[in-house]
Amino acid sequence: MTEEKPTIEEILAMARGQDGGGEADPPADDVVAEQSGTPEQSESSPAPSPASDILAAARAQDAAGDEEPAATEKQPAPATGVSDILAAARAQDTGGDAGAAGDEEPAATEKQPAPATGVSDILAAARAQDTGGDAGAAGDDQPAAPAAETAEQPAAADSAGGERPSVQEMLQQLRQTDGATADQDQASDTTAPRPMPTRPAAAAVPVAATVAPGDLSRRSVLGAVVLAPLQLVATPFAAAWTALTAATTAMLLGTARFMFPNTLVEPSMTFKIGPPSDYPPNSVSAKFKAERGVWIVRSTMYNAQDQIVALASVCTHLGCTPNWLDGEQKFKCPCHGSGFYISGVHFEGPAPRPLERVGLKIAADGMLEVDKSKKFQDELGQWEDPASYVNA
Amino acid sequence: MHVDPFIDPHPNLTPAVLQGLGWLYLVLSVMNVFWCARVLKQDEHVRIRLFGMLGKGVEIPRAASWAIYSSILATIAFMHMSWSSAEYIGKFWLSLTPDGLIESSIDSIVANPVSYFVLSIAGTAMMIFFREWLVKPTVGWIMLNVAILFMALSMTDYDFRQIVGKPDNVPIVALLYLVGGFTWLYFFHAVENDRRLENWDGEGAIPVLNNEDNEKVLVWPDLVYAELICMIAVTTVLIAWGIVLDAPLEEPASSAKTPNPSKAPWYFLGLQEMLVYYDPWLAGVVFPTMIIGGLIAVPYIDFNKVGNGYYVFKQRAFSVITFLFGFLTLWVAMIILGTFLRGPNWNIFGIYEFWDVHKLVALNNVMLSELFWVDLVTPITGFAPEYKNSDPESVKTLMILIREAPGFIALIAYFTVLPPLMAISCLKTFFHRMGFLRYMVFTHFLLMMAALPLKMVLRWTFNLKYLVNIPEWFFNI
Repeated sequence: MTEEKPTIEEILAMARGQDGGGEADPPADDVVAEQSGTPEQSESSPAPSPASDILAAARAQDAAGDEEPAATEKQPAPATGVSDILAAARAQDTGGDAGAAGDEEPAATEKQPAPATGVSDILAAARAQDTGGDAGAAGDDQPAAPAAETAEQPAAADSAGGERPSVQEMLQQLRQTDGATADQDQASDTTAPRPMPTRPAAAAVPVAATVAPGDLSRRSVLGAVVLAPLQLVATPFAAAWTALTAATTAMLLGTARFMFPNTLVEPSMTFKIGPPSDYPPNSVSAKFKAERGVWIVRSTMYNAQDQIVALASVCTHLGCTPNWLDGEQKFKCPCHGSGFYISGVHFEGPAPRPLERVGLKIAADGMLEVDKSKKFQDELGQWEDPASYVNA
Repeated sequence: MHVDPFIDPHPNLTPAVLQGLGWLYLVLSVMNVFWCARVLKQDEHVRIRLFGMLGKGVEIPRAASWAIYSSILATIAFMHMSWSSAEYIGKFWLSLTPDGLIESSIDSIVANPVSYFVLSIAGTAMMIFFREWLVKPTVGWIMLNVAILFMALSMTDYDFRQIVGKPDNVPIVALLYLVGGFTWLYFFHAVENDRRLENWDGEGAIPVLNNEDNEKVLVWPDLVYAELICMIAVTTVLIAWGIVLDAPLEEPASSAKTPNPSKAPWYFLGLQEMLVYYDPWLAGVVFPTMIIGGLIAVPYIDFNKVGNGYYVFKQRAFSVITFLFGFLTLWVAMIILGTFLRGPNWNIFGIYEFWDVHKLVALNNVMLSELFWVDLVTPITGFAPEYKNSDPESVKTLMILIREAPGFIALIAYFTVLPPLMAISCLKTFFHRMGFLRYMVFTHFLLMMAALPLKMVLRWTFNLKYLVNIPEWFFNI
């Protein structure tokens, strides 16, 4: 048991020594194995080359905690780098947990395969190891002393060691608490007291950790469920994040609400424009341009048939609003000089395609009805569509 | 003192205009008095004979002519200020007459995009060609006088005043004088440095102007005083500007009503002019990106080791000419065109021309595919790349691609054939000194830049609207 925080080198050394020292000194996984009653499997891991060893040890220990130690002890795996070392360190960690937890209440322990995610894990592991030693010393009332040698219990350490938790630890605790309820349910289903050499989730909450052995299982589950939300505001730091998240969520929801206004003040897309007789031959009516953005055009220019059409007053070049010049018989855009015939077909300036028609039909009462929700583009052949014109 | 708006709603001369012009002439006169003193100090003389009337002639100081000019200006100023009452306005003679020959001829030149563009290119070329003559102080001074006199005389025209005097456009006028001034200053330094470098034996420090006055000066008081004076001057100008000219606010914006003409901010008028000739995605997105990218790429494609850090022309002739062409003719000239010449319906108007909304300019444009198929191929072969709405998409696509093939081929040829062609002909040295990659980047930027005037010329000569026109896909080049 070390009182100092181990450096990364020490973590490495520990991880190495763990698998290499299967025979030499009894590390955590051996303890686990012994407690689970299968010591021979734990002895069966030899001492191969360092890199893969670390990983193998790590995996094995994780697996030992999770499942049957005997079956998974021998799984080899290629070492890939720092993450493996971390895994090893953590495995050691969890192994110790198993020891400590197994002492108290094996069934209540949860399985916690902890994937190594970064430097923060090293720190967390290191700190946990450090303070966990305190916990082991303080709460060690069980005969299985070897477990306490390497025991790590971050939460217990909080209460025992009195050290301030880091951000990573708090996050870890949150995660554990979430996982704990499910895992513990599972664990309590399997009535057999299997050794689960991982961090006891209940221990993450100090109250749960101090529950007396015996009917700990249900109470710790209950406690975790009840107290999990409390963790969101347990410290000023957690409260701040909770508040920020809540405020941001509220803001986003409020923004989304804008998409669904209670009332629409814009005019309806369909509207009536009077009978066809209102529109004399070869004429452009700008009556509805200002409010509705359409010209009502009656001409024979497009296909020699006397048609009434509704042209959208949007230039097809860049979207300015052209003007109808009656003297010149053309639509002319003030922005870049595009010109359109009365039919809406472009003939000068940069506009690449004709003006767009919108839907026009004769309603049941004989009035012309414009439907701006439909548009008809000549270049796509849509001006042939009977919904785009009315024969005068 | 008041001109009846019912008699003439667009008066060329008003008392206020005459008063203002009087002050302008007075300022010009005072400026020339100072110039006169400068010339007198140099103590140069010219011999004038007045066609033999003075026998052997009389030697007079050169400053005399400037003195006479200054006094004429002072007289004109006095005349403007004292005759600015209603009964004199009708008789006032120093103005451009509304139907005058000068006005109409200037209008016919600038209101025609071809002559305007040719003139701006020719102006830039002449400036480069005659630079040694241009940078003589007397020539520079005379040009400044001509520019101010031109402005003063033009101000007597109502329509010119409407355009130039618009609060939007006043700073642009000032800016044009600045552009001219700084261009002249560059040539002044560059010509002097060219002369010195020609006589330089290659030893010691390079004898350019910048190396002479690079003695160390103190931050305090030299720099701080200069900064203080600049600060006060700028503040004064801004305050005066803010008081004298109202902000050009317009009516509330409406999606259904676009102002006619609808102009971008002055610094984007070059872009707006590009938009007349190119599709929005090219003129509004690709070309601006190319301009910025090209400017960023300049240091990397520049292989010329000399001419860095001082004004020079001969050592960097290609770079300077390319820049001046791109900046003066393709950017500043476009801003002038957009600011002063583009009127209602985006038609081009002369500077003295009334902005008639109903001015009719025939701009019947055609696509390259129409020129190629309708006029050339289909009458001969009978084949036309057409499709019906009921045709499957594959047929439609094929027909569209066949229809636009001439444009695509022309474009691909422009960008793939021209660079190697130039590499073996006019830009041989460039290709050898740059290497393949740099040369390709360089020529493509160059061709992109040249694409704008080329497209303009195509529009003016063949009424060509787009090389590639696929409205079905919103794709036009």
